[in-house]
Amino acid sequence: MAIFNLKKREIDCKIVYYGPGRCGKTTNLEYIYKAFKKQVSGEMVSIKTEGDRTLFFDFLPIGLGKLKGCDVRVQLYTVPGQVQYKSTRKLVLKGVDGVVFVADSLKIRYEKNILSLKDLQQNLKDYDLSIFKIPLVMQYNKRDLAEKNIPLMSIEKMERDLNQQLKVPFFEASAITGQGVGACLKKCLMLTLQSLHKQLKWG
Amino acid sequence: MDIKTQLKSLLQEAEIYRSQGLLDESKNRYNDAVELIQKNAQIKNKQNLLENIQKKINLVNNILSNIGKASTSPQLSSQVQNVIKNKFSFSDDQDSASLEGAIALAKFGQFESALKEFNELVKKKSVQIIAAKNIIRCYNALNLIDEAVVQYEKWLSSGLFPSEHLEKIRFFLENILERKGNKKILPHAPNVKESQDSIGNESYDSRFEDEEFLDISSITISLDKGPLKGKLVEFDVSFQSANIISVIIPEKDKKLIENLVIGATLNNIQFYSPIAIFKGNGVISAKTRIQSGPKKGNYRMDIKVVST
Repeated sequence: MAIFNLKKREIDCKIVYYGPGRCGKTTNLEYIYKAFKKQVSGEMVSIKTEGDRTLFFDFLPIGLGKLKGCDVRVQLYTVPGQVQYKSTRKLVLKGVDGVVFVADSLKIRYEKNILSLKDLQQNLKDYDLSIFKIPLVMQYNKRDLAEKNIPLMSIEKMERDLNQQLKVPFFEASAITGQGVGACLKKCLMLTLQSLHKQLKWG
Repeated sequence: MDIKTQLKSLLQEAEIYRSQGLLDESKNRYNDAVELIQKNAQIKNKQNLLENIQKKINLVNNILSNIGKASTSPQLSSQVQNVIKNKFSFSDDQDSASLEGAIALAKFGQFESALKEFNELVKKKSVQIIAAKNIIRCYNALNLIDEAVVQYEKWLSSGLFPSEHLEKIRFFLENILERKGNKKILPHAPNVKESQDSIGNESYDSRFEDEEFLDISSITISLDKGPLKGKLVEFDVSFQSANIISVIIPEKDKKLIENLVIGATLNNIQFYSPIAIFKGNGVISAKTRIQSGPKKGNYRMDIKVVST
């Protein structure tokens, strides 16, 4: 849950990038760190293990400036995607305000996407949050690989498999080139701030 | 698609998957390529191709092996530890927030730094017992349980804890020792008689937690399936680890043992705790035959409390 400091007129909120292992969550944050320098308010912290895999989480603080008289600060996190880090994912998800679900467009990762989305749903449920109510945006990542003739799932199929019930905004993206990364984050921020505005009644 | 194009496509996929860190998938494609080469007599330079692919498979295997060997709790820099401490504490109250930060450090495997934090927190009355238990958990995680015993003995004479807190800590530590097969009897807190053993019922829980679960002393299960359908059975709780409770089923209750299978959901369990009686659901998470000791032959069943 976001922290609203009424006296200082400051809001701290938390957005988590969730998704299966190797889907590009860290690459999203790395791109944001490089491309949105003006908004980045601190160093990016990345805790990686062998093979460039996220071990615990990545963390990137950004500032959005003043919104309705409040200074809005956002903490971006990624979770470790590998299946065995379930408890770490849950810990990172604590206090989440908005989620970007990064799905891997590679055909061979079809099942991993679904398992990860179920894992997200369960972890949110454990914190009494509903995947149907939390500000959530889908990102279909690695679309650039189509140019290299690597088998990808069509957007229609990904929508059917992952977003048919949720019906949340989705973005085609390539975190490595930055395509769709900014738009996806902006949408998630917009939904999150709208939701917080309703909950905290600021402004 | 002709063989050459098929092969090229498989190898390209394998390379891309390797560059993406999708190592199992990469290996599968290389193996598909090997199979394709072996099946087709018309491919030239077969041996060369197979050797080259094998080199790539070996490379993938090496990366996989290094990943397998990598530490899952490396020592993190103080900058990262500060992020963990500050960003994983959520309470407004300063002591509770510090406790959450210290617990987060422990959960991320930074036991030595966590120990420093907990050692400061045992001085704060509002969180001291949780901090003390977490000190014991840290020593346990570091395989230094003897240090925990030394620490308990220091606390006994420190005047830092009231006797009832010390007794809870003693029960907690004795449970951990017992689980490790260590029958050491720890000295009681001052002014506490040995017969007051029932004071604590402190459960063993190796996980780092900031919440104290309600102690459950017994349960009643209403059986809704199988030959014992409709029967009510009562168990005393022999151990409790957070939301997992353990009960003993006597060897003679064969039908009951057969009826209660791992994975089964138990609806409408009545939980009895010293301060409340409440209903809830649970899932049987384990059932094992006790191999030694006075309860040999009986079954130990673990129930995960999923909702109350």
